[in-house]
Amino acid sequence: MTRYFARKIGLYILAFWAGVTIDWAIPRLMPGNPIEAYLARFSLNSQGSWTALYKLFSKAFGYNLPLWDQYWHYWDNLFHGNLGISIYAFPEKVTTMVAQAAPYTLALLVPAIVLSYVLGNRIGAIAARRKILDNTVLPLGYLFQAMPYAWLALAAAFYLAQLERWFPVQGGSAVGIASGFTWAYIWGLVSHWFLPFLTVFLVSFGGWSIGMRNLVIYELETDYARYLRALGARSRLVRRYAYRNAVLPQLSGLALALGTVIGGNIVTEVVFQYPGLGHLIYIAATDQDYSLLQGIFIFIIAGVLVANFLIDIVYIVIDPRTRLSMQGAVA
Amino acid sequence: MSDVDQAATSSAPVAPGAPLTGVRAPGAAPVGGAPLGRKAYSGGRRWEFLYFAVRNKKLVLGLGVEIIFVLAAIIGPYFAPYPPKQFVAPAFLHPSAKHLFGTSYFGQDVFSLLLYSLRNSYLVGFLGAAFAGVIGLGIGFIAGWRGGWLDEILQTFTYIVVMIPSLVLLIVIGAYLKSHSAFFEGVFIGVTTWPWVARAVRAQTFTLRQRDFVDLARLSGKRGPAIVLKDIAPNMASYILLAFILLFGSSMLIAVNYDFLGLGPTSGISLGDMLNLAELWSGLQLHLWWWFIPPGAAMTIMVAALLVANVGLDEVFNPKLRET
Amino acid sequence: MINKTRAAIRLGTALTAAALVAPMMSFVASGSAGATALHGPTNFPRNETLYTSGTAYSPPTNFNPLDGGSRYTGTVGLLYEPLFLYNPISNKYIPWLATSGNWSGSTYTLHVRNGVKWSNGTPLTGADVAFTIGLAKTNPAVGYSSLGPFINSISASGNTVTVNFKSPPPYTDWQDFLWQNAVLPKAVFSKLSASEQVTSANYTRGKSPMATGPMLLVSTSQTQACYEDNPNWWGIKQLGLKFHFKYLCDIVNGSNSVELSALLSNNIDWSNNFLPGINTLMTTGGDSSFLTTYYPKSPYMLSANTVWLEMNTTKAPFSNVNFRKAVAYGINTQSIVSGVYDGIVKAANPTGLLPNLGSYINKSVVSKYGFHYDPSLAKKYLAKSGYKGQTLTIEVPDGWTDWMAADDIIAQDLNSIGIKVNAITPSANERTQHMISGNFDMVLDNNAQADATPWSYFDRVYQLPIPKSNGAQLNVERFSDPATWALVQKAATTPTTDKTALDGIYSQIETSFLQKLPEVPLWYNGAWFQGNTTYWKNYPSSTNPSLQYTPVMWGNWLGAMTTVYALANLRPAK
Repeated sequence: MTRYFARKIGLYILAFWAGVTIDWAIPRLMPGNPIEAYLARFSLNSQGSWTALYKLFSKAFGYNLPLWDQYWHYWDNLFHGNLGISIYAFPEKVTTMVAQAAPYTLALLVPAIVLSYVLGNRIGAIAARRKILDNTVLPLGYLFQAMPYAWLALAAAFYLAQLERWFPVQGGSAVGIASGFTWAYIWGLVSHWFLPFLTVFLVSFGGWSIGMRNLVIYELETDYARYLRALGARSRLVRRYAYRNAVLPQLSGLALALGTVIGGNIVTEVVFQYPGLGHLIYIAATDQDYSLLQGIFIFIIAGVLVANFLIDIVYIVIDPRTRLSMQGAVA
Repeated sequence: MSDVDQAATSSAPVAPGAPLTGVRAPGAAPVGGAPLGRKAYSGGRRWEFLYFAVRNKKLVLGLGVEIIFVLAAIIGPYFAPYPPKQFVAPAFLHPSAKHLFGTSYFGQDVFSLLLYSLRNSYLVGFLGAAFAGVIGLGIGFIAGWRGGWLDEILQTFTYIVVMIPSLVLLIVIGAYLKSHSAFFEGVFIGVTTWPWVARAVRAQTFTLRQRDFVDLARLSGKRGPAIVLKDIAPNMASYILLAFILLFGSSMLIAVNYDFLGLGPTSGISLGDMLNLAELWSGLQLHLWWWFIPPGAAMTIMVAALLVANVGLDEVFNPKLRET
Repeated sequence: MINKTRAAIRLGTALTAAALVAPMMSFVASGSAGATALHGPTNFPRNETLYTSGTAYSPPTNFNPLDGGSRYTGTVGLLYEPLFLYNPISNKYIPWLATSGNWSGSTYTLHVRNGVKWSNGTPLTGADVAFTIGLAKTNPAVGYSSLGPFINSISASGNTVTVNFKSPPPYTDWQDFLWQNAVLPKAVFSKLSASEQVTSANYTRGKSPMATGPMLLVSTSQTQACYEDNPNWWGIKQLGLKFHFKYLCDIVNGSNSVELSALLSNNIDWSNNFLPGINTLMTTGGDSSFLTTYYPKSPYMLSANTVWLEMNTTKAPFSNVNFRKAVAYGINTQSIVSGVYDGIVKAANPTGLLPNLGSYINKSVVSKYGFHYDPSLAKKYLAKSGYKGQTLTIEVPDGWTDWMAADDIIAQDLNSIGIKVNAITPSANERTQHMISGNFDMVLDNNAQADATPWSYFDRVYQLPIPKSNGAQLNVERFSDPATWALVQKAATTPTTDKTALDGIYSQIETSFLQKLPEVPLWYNGAWFQGNTTYWKNYPSSTNPSLQYTPVMWGNWLGAMTTVYALANLRPAK
C-alpha cells in the first residue's frame, strides 16, 4: 500500500514539476514582450515617458532579473501562494482572479463529469440488454458523442436562449442584482449555469453510455459469463459481474478523458461567456496576459492531479486485483 | 512498471481520450485463431472478414455516409458554386436555390464555404490520427517489449503528457510560428493525443510477448524489432485499425475546438473556423442560423458515421459480438 | 465480494452527492469573497441606472488617471476632470476646471474655477493644478513629460497658475495638455513616490477616490463598476448640468456578440462596442426599433481614428515612392467599408486627417495630389517601382476580426495588380514588437488618436530621430524626411491662435504627405455608439442641434470631450 502510494505520489510530483516548469517558461519563450504590449495601450506621445514607464513596469513584473533567479523566485512565490500580478487587469493579483473564477468552473465541471459518468454507465449498461433502449440510446449516444462542444453550445444558445428565451444567452449571473443569499441571485446563478452544464454533460454522457453498452455486451460474451450461465446462475448475477468488470476500463478512461473535457469546457464557457476559468484562460490567451495564463494553468494541473488521485482511490476500492497486489498477494 | 499498473491495464480495454470511448482491446480472440462465425461459411480468414463486413449494417451505413462526405471533400471544391472566401452576394441571405445554405455576414456563400472546409477537417483528422497512431504504437511497443527502466521512463512520460492541458500548450507553441498551417494543427493534435494508444498497446504487447509463438520467434533468432513488427503487430492489426478510426474522429473534434478558439490554421478555412466567425460576427444574435448550424451538423455526422462504422468493424473482427 | 461492490456503489453515490454539493457551497462562499459581489448599495433599480459598455477590456481594478493603460472607464470624466474640454463636433474648447487661460509672451496664465470641491470637501486650488503640471518635470513616466524640458517655472497663487516656458513655447503640446490630462489632488499624489504615482491602483474597495467629478464610485465587481451621482458636483450650480440617472454602471466588455445580446435584451442602454450587423438591425427596424445611433443613416457613427497601412520604408520595395503609390491606388477601400463594415465606417480622406480637422485640410492640395482606387494606374506605378516580384507580408493582430477580414481584401487587391502579398496574423504582442523593432513589411495600424489639431497626427508620421527601439510608436514606418519634420516642429511652436500661419504650414505638410505617401490612410474607425431607448431617451444625435455631443465613453472622449454633456441630456424614457 505504502509502496503503491509512494510511487503514485512520486509520479504526481514529477508531473507537477514538469507542468510548472513549462508554465514558467511560457512568457519567457513567447515572442513579443508583455510590457511593450501593455504600454502600447497607453498610446503615448513621447519616447521619453515610454522609456521611463518601461523601466517601472519591468520592475513591477520582475522581468529585470537573470533567468535562473526568475525560476527560483517563481517556485518560492508559488509556495507562498503568490502567482504574480495580472497585466490584463493590472494591478490585480492572479490568485484573486483565479479564486473568483474557479467556483464557476467547478460548479460546471464537477457535476457534469460525475453525473455524465454515473448516468452514462447506468444507462449504457441497461441499453446493453434492452433492445428498445439500445435502439434509441445508441443512436443518440453516437450523435452526442460526435458533436463538437462549440456547436452544441451554439445550437443550445440559439434555440433555447435566443429564440425561446427560456434561459439567458450569456454570462454567469443576473445583471444588477447584488450577490447574497437571495432567491433572485441564486435563481440568476442557476439559470445561467444550466445551458453550459447541459452542453458539457450531454457530450460526455454520449461517450460513457456508448462505451459502457459496448463493454457490457463484450463482457456478457466472455467465457466466464458463458460458464456462469451454463452453471445456471441467474442472469442478474451474470450482469452484475459483467458490469463490475466493465466499470474498470471506464474508470481508467475517465482519467484519460479529463483533458478533453477540460478543453470542451473552455470552449463552452467561451460560447456562453461563463465567467469561469475557461473563459479567463481564453481572455488571458487573447490578451497575452502570461502571468494570468500561468496561474490558471497551475490551477488546472493541480485540479487534474487531484482528480487522478481520487480516481486512483476509487480504482483500488473497486478492483480486487489492485487491492490484492497491494497486500502482496500477486507481487 | 509495477504489477499494480499492469493489473490495472492488462485486461482493461482502453477508453481513448474520451468522450470518444468504445474500443475494446482485442483480447485474446483474434490471436488464438478466432472460431469461425456460426453461420455456414467456409473460406480463408481474410474473406471471412469481408463476408461479415458487407453484411454488417452498422459498418455499411457508417462507411457509406463517410464515403459521401470524403467524396464531397475531395471533389466538392470543383463543384462549389462560388469561391469560398469572396464576398459574392448580399449579406444575410436566407437559404435558397441560389445559395443552398444562405450567405454569411460578409456575403460569402455558406454552402461553398462548407465544401471547402471539409478538406481541412479531414486533413487534420488524418494527420492527427496518423501521428498519434505512430507515436502511440512506437512508445507502446517499446515499453511493452523492453519493459524495465525504459518502460518506467516511457510510462512516466506518458503520464506527464496526459496531465498537461494541450490547449494551453498550443497557445504557447502557436505563438512561435508566424502562421500555423493545417499540417501543424494535425501534428500538434497527434503529438498530444497518443497516450491512450500507447497505454493500450503497451499492455497488449506485455501479454503477447509471453505467448508461445513469440518464444518460438525468439528461439529462431529473430531480433526484437522484427518480432514486434512481424509477430506481435499483426496480431493487433484489428485493434490498431479500430484505434486509428477513433483517433481520426477525435482529432477532427479537437480541431473544431482549436479552430473555434481562433487557434487553428491562419489562412485556411475549416468547419471550426466557420463556427468561430459566426460567433464573433454575432451570427447568433442576427439569427444567421444557416451560418453555424450546417458546419457543426456536418462534423457531427462525419464523426458519428466513423463511430458507427467502428462498432460495426469491431463486430466483424470479433465473432463473439456478431449479432446472430 | 458482492458486499464490496455495494460498498463501492455506496462510495460512488456519496462521491456523486459531494461532487454536486461542493461547487454550490463554493458559490456561496465566493459570494462573500467577491466573485460577483457588489459593494455598496445592494441593488441598482433598473429605471434609475444607466448601463454602459464598450470601453473596458479588463475588470475595474485601477482608477489612477496617470495609468493610461489600465484605468477604468470613468476615471477621467466621471471622477477626475481636465482643465478644458474639447468639442470635436464644433471644433471648440469649453472651459472646465479652468475658466480661462491665455498666453502672454512665453508665459501662460490659467484661472482655476472657484467653488470646485474635492469629494472630501476641501476646495480645488491652483496648488493642485501647479502640482499636476509640475509632474512633467519631476516624473518622466507621466504621459505629458515631454513638456518638462520646455518649462522654466510654475507658480500658483490662490486660483491663478502661471507657467513660464522657454522660448519658443510648445504651443500645441501645451494646448493638448490642457484638455487631455486630469487635474490630480496634490494631497494624495504628492505622498506617492514617482513610480507609485503611475503604477498604484489609486483605489481601495468601497472607497471612492478623492476627485472633483460629477459621480462617485460606489461599487466594483469583476464584471462592472458602478457610480453614483455626486450631489456636491460644481457643474450642477455653475453650469446647470444634472444627471437624471442615479447610477451609472459600466460593464466590462465581453465579445461583440455578447454585447449585442445584452443591448438587444435591454441589459445595456449605451453601447460603445463595435457591433457587426448594426446597419442591418437599424434598416430592418421591427424588433430593434429601440436602437439609436449618432447619424440616422450610414455611416451611423462619428469617426474616431484613422486606419493606416504602414510600410517599412527603410527597405525595398517600400523605400520607392512609386511602390507606395501603387499600393495606395491598388486598394479598394470602398469594398472594405461595405463588405467588412457593412457601411458603418467612412473611407478616409487621402491625408488621413479626421473630419473634425476638416478646416485644416487644403482641398486644392488633396484634389491635385490625392490618391483614389485605380488598379490600372496602380500597375503603372508598380512598373516604375523596382519591385522584383518578392512575396511581402501584411500584418494585423490575431483576433481583430474586422481588420483580419479587411486584411484579406487588401491582400486580394494587391495580388490582383501583381504585388505578391500574404496576409498574416501574428499575436498582438508580436505585432507590437515588430512595429517597435522595425522588423516588418506592412502593418495595419491606427495609433494616432483623435485630436484638436493635425499636429499629433503628423508628429506620429514624421518624428525624427527614429530610436532603434521605437516603443512610443512614433514614425513606425521609419520614414526619414527632415524637411517635413522641420515643418511639423514649426507647427508645434506656432501660436495656436495664428490660424493663417498654421494653415500655410499644414498645406505644405499635406502636399509632402500626398507626394511621398509615408503612410496610406485607408478608412476611419468609427466612434461606435448604439443607444437603447427602452429606459432612457435623448441620446446624442446629429439630427437635433441640442444633442450634438460625443456619444462615447472611451478614455479621452468621456474624459475630455463632450460626453458629460451627452450624459446630462439623457432623460427617463417613461
